[in-house]
Amino acid sequence: MSKAAAGPMAEMEGVVTVVQEGRFQLTDLGGVSHNFMLSRFALAETEQLPALQNAQSRVRVKYSQADKLIAYLAHRIDLLDVA
Amino acid sequence: MEIHPFARAREYPDSVFHDVIPNESELTGGVTIEPGKQYGFFTDTTVCIGCKSCEVACKEWNNLPADDIGLTGQSYDNTGALSANTWRHVNFIEKKQALADDTAERPARGVRDNDQNAFQSGWLMMSDVCKHCHHAPCMESCPTGALFKTEFDTVVVQQDICNGCGYCVSACPFGVVALNPLDGKAHKCTLCYDRLKGGLEPACAKACPTESIQFGELSDLWERAATRVEDLHARGVTSAYTYGTPDAPGATGDMKYLNSFFLLTDRPEAYNLPAAPTRPSNRVAPAFAAGLSTIAGLALAAAVLFAGAKTTRD
Amino acid sequence: MPEHRDGRAVSKGAASPEAAAWKGPTYYGRSQLKPSPFNAWVVGGYIFLAGLSGASAVVSTVAEAVQGERGASIGRKGRYLSMLAPLVGAPLLILDLHTPTRFYNMWRIVKRTSPMSLGTWILTAFIGGAGVAVVAQLGVDLLGLKWLKRIARLGSAPAAITGAGISTYTAALLAATSAPYWAADEKGLGVRFASSSIAAGSAALALGEKSRSTRRTLNAITGIALLTELVATAVHHKNVKAKGVGASLESEWAHIEEAAVLGLGVLLPLGLYVASRRLGDRKRAGAVSDLASLAVMAGSAMLRVSTIRIGQDSASRPEVSLRFSQPENLPKKRRA
Repeated sequence: MSKAAAGPMAEMEGVVTVVQEGRFQLTDLGGVSHNFMLSRFALAETEQLPALQNAQSRVRVKYSQADKLIAYLAHRIDLLDVA
Repeated sequence: MEIHPFARAREYPDSVFHDVIPNESELTGGVTIEPGKQYGFFTDTTVCIGCKSCEVACKEWNNLPADDIGLTGQSYDNTGALSANTWRHVNFIEKKQALADDTAERPARGVRDNDQNAFQSGWLMMSDVCKHCHHAPCMESCPTGALFKTEFDTVVVQQDICNGCGYCVSACPFGVVALNPLDGKAHKCTLCYDRLKGGLEPACAKACPTESIQFGELSDLWERAATRVEDLHARGVTSAYTYGTPDAPGATGDMKYLNSFFLLTDRPEAYNLPAAPTRPSNRVAPAFAAGLSTIAGLALAAAVLFAGAKTTRD
Repeated sequence: MPEHRDGRAVSKGAASPEAAAWKGPTYYGRSQLKPSPFNAWVVGGYIFLAGLSGASAVVSTVAEAVQGERGASIGRKGRYLSMLAPLVGAPLLILDLHTPTRFYNMWRIVKRTSPMSLGTWILTAFIGGAGVAVVAQLGVDLLGLKWLKRIARLGSAPAAITGAGISTYTAALLAATSAPYWAADEKGLGVRFASSSIAAGSAALALGEKSRSTRRTLNAITGIALLTELVATAVHHKNVKAKGVGASLESEWAHIEEAAVLGLGVLLPLGLYVASRRLGDRKRAGAVSDLASLAVMAGSAMLRVSTIRIGQDSASRPEVSLRFSQPENLPKKRRA
């Protein structure tokens, strides 16, 4: 768990469609894309993101609103397709 | 070596492409991208129209979020400055009347010399970007090796190594590198490292509609810039000069040259560029020497005092 | 006249700091530099503790080397004080990282152009030497193992050498940046940080010292270091002004520096040392000396905090940063 995940956190499900460094675009089930960046306390590391994009696997992201940025801050990413 | 874009364009008559075009940069920028060569940007501010296509293209390709939206009241510049999330920034300089300290040696204050109030003929625009310095102070200061020189002679922050110490931020003489407190890493222009590896020219250069931003091999760009300055001088714009080429302003103080350099028509400060930046790492040895010799001197004084105390007391 | 082209006001006679500031255009009052994102209290606190630890290792090792067995009590104190840098200072450094969980990446490489990289390795070596010494000292003090005394003293020697490094590299750390106030006079900053470190280290060793003779010797060392700092400060400020960074010496933190570093940290203790000597053998002499020691340490800490804040101020003001980056400030030998 991330340290910042003290309070209740919003969740979003979707597919990672674009990855750049620690930033990624999540296309939700309704087809709308959202901009995310990995929080400094997120357990996922930058180098794990391209694999998510390549696999096009569904993920659930716990996030909060990024301060002064039009983006969300991802605190935790869970794979949904893993059997 | 320049490849004429049309020559290669004939190879692709279709309007829909099913695959990535190999070496697309030959078509769009007339340059072949090969590891081991030096690449950079030549930003010719005299043809910049301030459309901010470069800012948008950069944000799009690099998936960079928008900084807080708001109006600054500073001409058309609502971006403000380069930041962790903004790697191209268009400056808008609305020149007012001719200044009182205009002299005969430096009469021209813009493309056209006039004393009108804010008007397009006295309006300078410049797309600012990371300079990818030859002796990059950010890279020289980075304690983790996160900042490195790529095979294209550009400077990139490796996000999986950076621990957010922030030392590069204070080292940069141009205020380019910035920390993002949310992800805790330093960020700056990568000169589209991923695109270069795939044979694509950087997003900003490809998007620029006036060729104000030119991407290419450094030696080619230097030649192009020199020709352009000569041309402008011949046309009466005597204030044109390059910033960041060898021996020019911006490449001072052992900085050697900047891989992304500019053609300017006013003094560097007008564009918020330092006239004579220096290489910070040249100050490491003198600072160490001064500190250590002070310690040595004071330790010697201490030795004398302790020895004196031994003979007089007991 | 170069003044016209550089945008500076043409000054008649000697240039005052105000006259030397950048008078030309700025980009909507924005600086071309970004101020260092260091937390001044956290990083300043580390620089102070590294200086105190390193310098107390230097002074105590010198005492032991010169005085032999008589200097053993100072040596013992120095070994314990040297633990401040690893036990308190190093965690502060990690705290200031924006991704603290990756602190270990500092040991990935050695880079001689980066004082932060060099400092990491010097601090590591210091922790090694000082660590051996303090463990041996604990063996002597807690378990009564007298034979460990030799090892404690042997560990102090490398701690003293690397201690000189950790008490001074921090000046290079700030000087090797583009912040005008830090970059303007790297040697001046080096001498100021070094003399302040020795003063703080020696003052810490004198704290609570029972032996009058030892206290007097340590106070004399502190006094010499403070006088060195006083002269170095005057020279540093003069050189900084000559490079057009004078406007930052009128900022809020420059006034704090004046009061806390010069007043509290240098002039007050110098006066107290004189008073302590005149009080002769009486008990109060020790108390006055301790008060002076505390003032020296507070001043040494504030020197680092205020230096960081003034440097950040100088980087965020275009009239200072654009003036500092004028061609006349280029190093002479590299001009060609």
